[in-house]
Amino acid sequence: MEDLKSFGRRNFLTISGKAGLTTLVASTVGVNFGMVKVAEAAMGPGKVSAFRFAILTDAHLFSFPDHKFDGFLADAVDDVIKMKPDIVFYLGDIAQNGKEDQLAKGKKILSKLTMPMKVIPGEHDWYLDMGAAWRGHFGNPTWSFDHKGVHFIGMNSILVRDFWTPAGLSPKQRMDTMEMLESPIAGPWGVREEQLDWLRKDTAKLDPDTPIVVFTHSPLWDYYPRWNFQTEDAPDIRGILAKFSRVMAFHGHVHQTVYNRIGNLSSVGTLSTSWPWPYPDVQLAYPQMRMHRSDPGNFKDGEGSQYIDLEANFNGTMHYNPFGDMLTPAMKNGFVI
Amino acid sequence: MNRNTMKRVFSALGTVASVGAVGLLVYSSSAAREPFTKQELADQEKALLAAVDHGRDLWHGSLPSMSTNGLACGNCHPDAAASNPHTFPKYQADLGRVISLRDMINWCITVPQGGKALDVNSADMIAMEAYAFYLYRGTKIAPGLATEQTPPVVVEGGVGYSKKGSGVGYDRESTGENR
Repeated sequence: MEDLKSFGRRNFLTISGKAGLTTLVASTVGVNFGMVKVAEAAMGPGKVSAFRFAILTDAHLFSFPDHKFDGFLADAVDDVIKMKPDIVFYLGDIAQNGKEDQLAKGKKILSKLTMPMKVIPGEHDWYLDMGAAWRGHFGNPTWSFDHKGVHFIGMNSILVRDFWTPAGLSPKQRMDTMEMLESPIAGPWGVREEQLDWLRKDTAKLDPDTPIVVFTHSPLWDYYPRWNFQTEDAPDIRGILAKFSRVMAFHGHVHQTVYNRIGNLSSVGTLSTSWPWPYPDVQLAYPQMRMHRSDPGNFKDGEGSQYIDLEANFNGTMHYNPFGDMLTPAMKNGFVI
Repeated sequence: MNRNTMKRVFSALGTVASVGAVGLLVYSSSAAREPFTKQELADQEKALLAAVDHGRDLWHGSLPSMSTNGLACGNCHPDAAASNPHTFPKYQADLGRVISLRDMINWCITVPQGGKALDVNSADMIAMEAYAFYLYRGTKIAPGLATEQTPPVVVEGGVGYSKKGSGVGYDRESTGENR
């Protein structure tokens, strides 16, 4: 655990990969990973100095020049800048096919952000070269840091068992397999034991009243396993985090608004900047958080960004910030996380 | 139609019916068999599933002419979800008329995907249709409106996934409630 104020541009990306995960030196070209205004010292457990953070995710950039998704991400970046968050979190799937040029393009578009950004990977970023290019651009996928009294955690939740070696698949075939949402070949995703160990160590000495915010690409609950709207070892993650009074979890991947609560953990899905996924046939505990059906003739409908306002008592308000008008009344003016 | 004409028609129909009945008797006594053998049915199902498989591949981008921007049908419609084949024909606002599923498929190919439309009577189009309808088999036909997004009713596969959910949320597949 480190405090954000301790880090300069170069180190920002490599915060906290302490559990033995390879830490590659990250390129910082073009992206503002600078320091944020931080955190008063002397805040007791559970005390938060109110601030705002924003989330972008799932741009799914193709290699085509001037692809429509490039513009959607750029528009969402502009929207986020207007919201003036302290930090921006990117929750995976910058690329569509895991190609280096797609990651580089995303990084360039995101470099317009005027505030620091932390990134975790999605499966579309990872399985062409097993994360090599992603790490080169964005550093360690497992990190934590403190900001204004909140302990932020990011983990790589898209790790699958090796299905490609026994099948003799090429890297591209492996990537193609992972690109299909409904492909059962790869099996369930998870953070796996190495990151679970890291999480245990990272949180071991934290006071139970410490406000915790955790980011993963996939949800930390069984939403719809066939589409990997799940994380296989989410029960272990929730177990490790069970000692804390309150945990807020945010995830990408689902390309839709969705909300759930499990014990001390609130789980919030996020809007993509590419396309909306349909809702699976699952009874939701909070159906009012399902967005309206998007208009297929409006390519930006059902997409956007989001920001979260945290208050001093660690109450949080979720604000979806869609390009189009697709929020239900329960979400229009934000909702308590 | 006057009475004499009606009489002649009924008489003719009676003759046809009598001949048909005799034919049926002859047929049934000499060929009391199912319309198709098990082998024939297996072959027919195999042909259907081959079309479904081909449609699944097309749905996921196997024909490059269907897209100029990398997008495939599966990007927005995993497991054909929200394609709602059972609701066609219906009014499509962008086109301003009642259209068939095949028209809708071509709209998606040409507009969001920027690709070249399929011949509506081609084997490729039939395969696309076969894939969507096959996943929605058993769903009540409801032409006119899709008032909500609906996923396919059959989700096969899922190998390796937990069959028992965590108790949080509700997944029809993992609880075995899907058909």
